Amino acid sequence: MVDDMKLTFLQESEELLQQMEDALLAMEEAPDDEEHLNSVFRAMHTIKGAAGIFGYDFIVSFTHPVETVMDQVRSGNRSVDSDLVALLLECKDHTANLVQTVASDNEDNVPAELLENGCEILARLTGEGSENNSVKGATPSVAGASSPIEAEPQKATPNDNWVIALDFKQDALRNGLDPLSFIRYLQRLGEIVNIITFTHDMPAANEMDPETCYLSFRIALHSDSNKDEIESVFEFAVDDCDIRILPPHSKQITYLELLEDVEPESVQRLGDILVGIGAVTQQELEGALNEQEAIIDEAVANPEQKVKPLGEILVERNVVAKPVVEKALKKQEDNREKASRDAQYIRVDANRLGQLINLVGELVISNAAVKLMVDKYEIQEAQEVVAGVDNLVEDIRDHALQLRMVQIGDTFSRFRRVVRDVSKELNKDIKLVITGGEAELDKTVVEKINDPLTHLVRNSLDHGIESPEERLAKGKPAQGVLRLNALHDSGHIVIQIADDGAGLNVEKIRAKAEAIGLVKPDQVLSHRETLRLIFEPGLSTKTQASNLSGRGVGMDVVRRNIDALRGTVEVDSSVDKGTVVTIHLPLTLAIIDGFMVGVSGERYVIPLSMVEECVEIDNHQLDEQRSYVNLRGDVMPFLRLREFFDVPDDEVGDHSDRRESLVVVRFGRTKAGLVVDQLFGELQTVIKPLGKLFQGLKGISGATVLGSGDIALILDVQGVIGLASQRGGHKQGLVDHA
Amino acid sequence: MGNIVAGQPGSVESEETLQYLTFTVLGELMAIGILDVKEIIEVGSMTRIPMTLDCIRGVINLRGNVVPVIDLRSRLADQPSVLSKRSCIVLVQVKVEEEYQTMGMLVDMVNEILEIPETDLQKAPDFGTDIDNEFIDKMARYHDEFIILLNIARVFSIDDLSATKVQQHLALDNLS
Repeated sequence: MVDDMKLTFLQESEELLQQMEDALLAMEEAPDDEEHLNSVFRAMHTIKGAAGIFGYDFIVSFTHPVETVMDQVRSGNRSVDSDLVALLLECKDHTANLVQTVASDNEDNVPAELLENGCEILARLTGEGSENNSVKGATPSVAGASSPIEAEPQKATPNDNWVIALDFKQDALRNGLDPLSFIRYLQRLGEIVNIITFTHDMPAANEMDPETCYLSFRIALHSDSNKDEIESVFEFAVDDCDIRILPPHSKQITYLELLEDVEPESVQRLGDILVGIGAVTQQELEGALNEQEAIIDEAVANPEQKVKPLGEILVERNVVAKPVVEKALKKQEDNREKASRDAQYIRVDANRLGQLINLVGELVISNAAVKLMVDKYEIQEAQEVVAGVDNLVEDIRDHALQLRMVQIGDTFSRFRRVVRDVSKELNKDIKLVITGGEAELDKTVVEKINDPLTHLVRNSLDHGIESPEERLAKGKPAQGVLRLNALHDSGHIVIQIADDGAGLNVEKIRAKAEAIGLVKPDQVLSHRETLRLIFEPGLSTKTQASNLSGRGVGMDVVRRNIDALRGTVEVDSSVDKGTVVTIHLPLTLAIIDGFMVGVSGERYVIPLSMVEECVEIDNHQLDEQRSYVNLRGDVMPFLRLREFFDVPDDEVGDHSDRRESLVVVRFGRTKAGLVVDQLFGELQTVIKPLGKLFQGLKGISGATVLGSGDIALILDVQGVIGLASQRGGHKQGLVDHA
Repeated sequence: MGNIVAGQPGSVESEETLQYLTFTVLGELMAIGILDVKEIIEVGSMTRIPMTLDCIRGVINLRGNVVPVIDLRSRLADQPSVLSKRSCIVLVQVKVEEEYQTMGMLVDMVNEILEIPETDLQKAPDFGTDIDNEFIDKMARYHDEFIILLNIARVFSIDDLSATKVQQHLALDNLS
């Protein structure tokens, strides 16, 4: 149980720290954005709180001062600059280290070194802040230096005064209150412009009790103080005096502006919102609530009685102006909406999702079996039902898969930190531009793409983008740009890592490849082919290895990782212009829409997203000698799957009259035709892994179970095209004609 | 047919008398430890995987899972099996990179389960058997016959089996 909670603490801390980092990095660019500030504050605050519950005092003692500093920043007493952000990033890292000690069950024995390090960071953090701190302390609290309202310049126009209504109760004097002293005290807050004394309650002189207070006052006060402060003047008189404080006109505008800024953190009650911005004091709120309660009590007794909303009561009681209440109500509504949007997320065990998707896969297969039966026995009545179920299953499949889809943006934004740190370390000025972060793909794919991406990004930072001096010498802007982009393309996600750096030196690559015997000196390679060599093992053109990359073990690992995901990686580069690495990945590793074809007795499934069209052809249209075809004027290479896969013939006799079909597939910019015997049409395809044994197999990416229980193989279109190009020269004439 | 033996496959050397599943391939009596056997099934529909070695007969659908099947005759002696009524697929658990994977082997006929005392096990002869020495773990004497105990790890070596035909061709090309 405790372990479970600890796990939750660890997970949440990790998430919060990640959010904090993101926010800090964003703060560097937009220091004034309060949302980021709040995010950092929240992270520290929540971790502190949770650590406190668990008794991890070493975390509390570190996060508390950081939180304090953040609070100063929030209240505007400390400005955000890059130094502070850097320090806070250190704080984040340190906190992560502290949390790590908990994760490694080391919490009873926290390394002294770590604690010292923490103290040192804190000293730097608060050391710089102490100056500001003392200034704050010296500011008289009455003046409310930290009040945001105060910041608004006030003009001394006549209607810019607070109106304070003081209706003393009759017992006020008997209770030792002296109205005059309050009024005198009020002067300390501002200038009393006018006082009207109401004496209409004063009875005739003979009836007057000198110990009873009959006076009411209306005071116009010109003051910069806020409502709370004014009310606090009458703190001791609350019981013996009805106090209403009406804000000056300009204050209302301020309130409206403040409402605009009310944090969407949580749904607040109307009263809390109004108190929060200072339009209503706690006292006034309580009064109004009591009144409302009384009305509710009445309403219980008498159903005719309408319960008034709190806002109406407040307006009636003249403590707040109507527009302020309306605005606050609207804000409340907005916040509620946002909160309900946040609340729509449920934390789900990834394994359970996996199980669900597996089950949906089985459902798809069973459904196909049912369909097959119904077709076989021609059960007319069942046709319609089956069609309905089929649609449902398809919907369920799509939704189930959707559950595991995540935006790639989070993965991308992790690189902000990498780019920032590495560019500092290398004394380079590099900007990271992220686009297409909303593109979604399967979580299982995202997890596995992180490492290759990190490698590629580091490569760009290290080798790609030059130092500012070099860049200026080349006539480029000093600041280098690294772009991460994602987009969807025919059932794949395309991820691009582009830099505007030095580019790859084709001659160097060639020389190195020849040196390690990868290519023969007389071999002719196109620009693209040469670039592709960098994905071969042992090739690194950087003469000196840095601690980031350049040890020549990188790019081949990148390609292997991406191959394992049934993806491809391509590189394009031109000297001094930059390098673009393009990764194509399938959106999901679970279920796809497929298109089934038959070759002799064997069945193959082509991912539907890659199928462009199907053309029925007569045998004589395809020349046995050539392996390209004229497709509406364009030359397109084709291959016969039968020959390509050495499919044994299952039919006896003459094949010359066999009708074949040409399935046009597209991968990226390459189009090719696959000659097959039969077209079976679309099929929901549950991808079953073929296992370790066939991991290295190109051309087949997986298997699927058909409704009949048979297994059909899923074609790996890019693999087939790649293999065909390799066999190229003598057997098949497939070329990359991009 | 259900699981013959529930439990973890693996080494069973510590006991004195062990059970073995015997089967016939190439007319020879062979056996593997019973604890390695997961299941024995009839030969049903099998899907060929193109571009793989001949000894990989194909994949079968085992209750929704795709399981590769090795043609034992082809693996041991490079002759493809001819299916008969008695052909069976013996499913075994093989440890691949710290994970257990189910794989099938096609045999000509499954015989029986034998108890063989450890004392009757002998080292394989250096030569003289029809099949490659490396596939043999031990020889077991049973009455007057010798039974070949297969080295499962070797038979199902992923490194050997995952070679594709293309690679094979390339290797030949390089030699020539």
